[in-house]
Amino acid sequence: MSHLTRFTSEEAFRRLDDFLDREQSAAETELVHEHLEICAGCAREFRFEASVLRGVRAKLRQIEVTLPPGLRDRVLAALAAEGAR
Amino acid sequence: MTESTDRSTASPVAPAEVGGLAPGGFEPLLLAVLSPAFGYALRLARNRADAEDLVQDASLLAFRAAHTFEPGTNFKAWFFQILTRCFYARHRRQQRRPTTVDLEDTPDLYLYSRSAAAGLPWEGEDPASLLIDRLGSERVEAAIEQLPEEYGTVCALYFTEDFAYHEIAAVLGIPVGTVRSRLHRGRKMLQKVLWHVAEEAGIVRDLAHREERP
Repeated sequence: MSHLTRFTSEEAFRRLDDFLDREQSAAETELVHEHLEICAGCAREFRFEASVLRGVRAKLRQIEVTLPPGLRDRVLAALAAEGAR
Repeated sequence: MTESTDRSTASPVAPAEVGGLAPGGFEPLLLAVLSPAFGYALRLARNRADAEDLVQDASLLAFRAAHTFEPGTNFKAWFFQILTRCFYARHRRQQRRPTTVDLEDTPDLYLYSRSAAAGLPWEGEDPASLLIDRLGSERVEAAIEQLPEEYGTVCALYFTEDFAYHEIAAVLGIPVGTVRSRLHRGRKMLQKVLWHVAEEAGIVRDLAHREERP
């Protein structure tokens, strides 16, 4: 890819969220990758943000949600009653 | 407990009632998402009794609307959408969360710049892990609870359920662009709250001292 099509730091940073969340096109992702390879400052910032997202996600997923006793059965009973109507 | 009698042998879902789903296909899909749905209902309703009612009502509504579910799409997102509508049909007024931090105009890279300034790790492959590990699950969850409702809900769906932007948009009935902007602001706000919590808990000070030691 020609250097003329490379992203500036500002352009890359504008795509930070979409890049980390894989919500952009393959072409844009490639352009961000190219920028990060040559820009240590942006690469540090992107790594930090990715680390925050990863950490927050991991912590929240450690929290186990326990269904209240009987809820599953009440739901199934309601469905059964509805299906029998 | 009598309500579970014969549950394993008699599916309530008759083949003709489930649209594109295979006969008996609704119940297993629902049961697989019941726990995360209760977690989400708890975030919305903020008390266990209302959350239970919400899950039960949403289950019944989903059952009645099963013919509108497209097999091959994300059942959890579809069910969460029904649950969300169910909640807002009852609770029109949005509940303001108890925010203790001024979240207006939070700059980008808040944790990054604060960490660097305070002498905490800000480089390396996983630079924020030390801080977030020390914060722990409960404080991180409580930090999301402090975000204004519209940002907290989007962040919760994003972080805990792994929904894509378009799925969050469908769940909440808002445009994808709104999800994107709320998530962007919500993440920044969350970083500010996390930093505030880490300071209050003495974590910033501890980690800074630890970094100073040879």
